[in-house]
Amino acid sequence: MKQILVIAEMLDGVIQPATWEITAAAAKIKKLKESGQIKIIIPSDDPLPIAKETAKQTGMDVIGLKSNDLKDYDSDVYKQCLFKLVKTIDPSHILTAHTSQGRDFAPGLAISFNAASIACVNEIKKDDKGLLYSRSVLGNTKNMIVRPAEGIPVVLTLMPGVFQPDNFNNQKKGRVEICEIAFDPDCSNTRRIRHEKILQKSCENKTLKGAKIIVSAGRGIGKKENLDAIFKFAQCFSSSAVGVSRPLVDMGWIGYEHQVGITGAAVSPRLYIACGISGSSQHLAGMKDARFVVSINNNPDAPIFRHSDLCIVEDIDPFLQAFLKVVQTK
Amino acid sequence: MKSLICIKQSNESGEMNLFDTHAIEEALKLKQKFENRGYQEDFSVDVVTIGPSENSKIIKRAFGMGADKGYHVITKERGYSFSFETASRLAAVAKKESYDLILTGIMSQDLMAGQTGPMLAEILNLPCVTGVVKTELAADNSSIKVEQEMENGFRNGLEIILPAVLTIQAGINTPRYPTLSRMLAAGKKEIMTFNETDLFSKKTGAVQAREIFVSMEDPQKTRAGHLLQGSLADKAKQLFTVLHGKALI
Ligand SMILES: Cc1cc2nc3c(=O)[nH]c(=O)nc-3n(C[C@H](O)[C@H](O)[C@H](O)COP(=O)(O)OP(=O)(O)OC[C@H]3O[C@@H](n4cnc5c(N)ncnc54)[C@H](O)[C@@H]3O)c2cc1C
Repeated sequence: MKQILVIAEMLDGVIQPATWEITAAAAKIKKLKESGQIKIIIPSDDPLPIAKETAKQTGMDVIGLKSNDLKDYDSDVYKQCLFKLVKTIDPSHILTAHTSQGRDFAPGLAISFNAASIACVNEIKKDDKGLLYSRSVLGNTKNMIVRPAEGIPVVLTLMPGVFQPDNFNNQKKGRVEICEIAFDPDCSNTRRIRHEKILQKSCENKTLKGAKIIVSAGRGIGKKENLDAIFKFAQCFSSSAVGVSRPLVDMGWIGYEHQVGITGAAVSPRLYIACGISGSSQHLAGMKDARFVVSINNNPDAPIFRHSDLCIVEDIDPFLQAFLKVVQTK
Repeated sequence: MKSLICIKQSNESGEMNLFDTHAIEEALKLKQKFENRGYQEDFSVDVVTIGPSENSKIIKRAFGMGADKGYHVITKERGYSFSFETASRLAAVAKKESYDLILTGIMSQDLMAGQTGPMLAEILNLPCVTGVVKTELAADNSSIKVEQEMENGFRNGLEIILPAVLTIQAGINTPRYPTLSRMLAAGKKEIMTFNETDLFSKKTGAVQAREIFVSMEDPQKTRAGHLLQGSLADKAKQLFTVLHGKALI
């Protein structure tokens, strides 16, 4: 019975909630395969306390992957230590989160382990030939269904926020094992990647935090000057703020503190109005918890419409003018 | 200094993958800074793409931006090829010269996997940093300082020993447009082409796919998706009514 390995997402020595989503995905794989045993791997310089706690909480077996070099994330150390461990286990599946860390080390691990590698998985299914993995492609307009080649293990990175964590109500405690593995840098005695510092772009996202209503602009607004109309639109509402999709920040039209999405802010307002935003998975990750979503887009097939309560197919500029007129008459 | 930029034509737009334009721009900026420091040595910016013959259009575009040499691995298949196959072919090209710096986009806009760069690095046994938003070459050119984007506005400041692979995130720079004179010259510039058989020996054979395409599906709706009907003014009124009814305006 081959094992299904979950590589925990660690940050500053703390296990991250994304780990429970990956564990849920592993449980789904086990159920669909009708075989397999799940093990959670905790890479850390001091994994024992976290491993014990995790085994108690989840009822699953846990391996603490211990190495002094695993204190902070380093792709070379992660890849080598995980490879040494995984080789001895020979699992069928290796799962981790599609985060800045997961997508940094997982593809390399797949190469050294001669495994298939499927990134940013958003659903797991099966047909008569085996398990199938779905991933969002073409700007989130389609899901591509992929199967690993026969007879090889597979490394999966799972899209955050998709797999619902299980409620573990376990009587039994999982087993804990500590595996100490030394990292040896290649030929020379130094690491290839040196960690200098951690920088933070903005301490706290005061702009969007707590706003009851968020009006967001995307590339569809056409030019920077058109942000004025978005701000005016936002002023129709009380307790509102202006959000944007990432390209507007990248182009320097507005500050990072306005960015919504996986590399921006995660927001949960009562109302989210998306203006000229296509609805990439990276943007949706930041606004999926909004209570009510209105989208205005001139493309009736824009993916954002699948994730909206109210859909308006119009050019953004004339629509905002028409809306302002309505507001003025009230 | 030799740099190699891996570029791809998007299946969606037919244009060069957006993130790859940022990668070329970053290499050209590094080259500019390098030359301003007055080294004897050259800084070359080569590009490589894999795909059917019509994809040479993006190599021409790269020449127009200022790239030096262009490599094209010609494959028959249109459509999608998975990261492992792409990375294996890129590695075979990269091995032909000793590159100090290899750049890719953080992901392709069509397949959105973000695996090609880190896989290429592993095959070549080079260090790799994904999601790079800032670069600065060390004074002795033996390493490069980068900032790697993490979640929640955090960035890792890292220094990587060269040779290395970096995957470039949008927002790092504003890609230049090709100049007309360069585009004209690009027409005459030679592109070095390879077939699969040129890249892999008989013994190793062609790359074996590790992932198999099954089908494309429409993503599921997660919300009601009520579509407003009528004239522009009607829709504006309806939106107001709905929001007013929910006490949101
Ligand atoms: C690692 C990583 C992290 C990322 N993080 C984020 C993130 O945090 N947040 C984020 O937003 N993105 C993020 N992205 C980028 C993301 O992939 C998309 O590129 C981005 O969200 C697209 O922004 P957009 O919808 O504004 O632009 P586009 O995708 O270009 O969409 C523009 C939309 O406007 C519509 N439109 C055009 N003209 C008009 C008009 N006149 N009237 C009305 N509609 C019009 C079009 O139909 C289209 O749907 C990230 C990408 C990567 C690789």
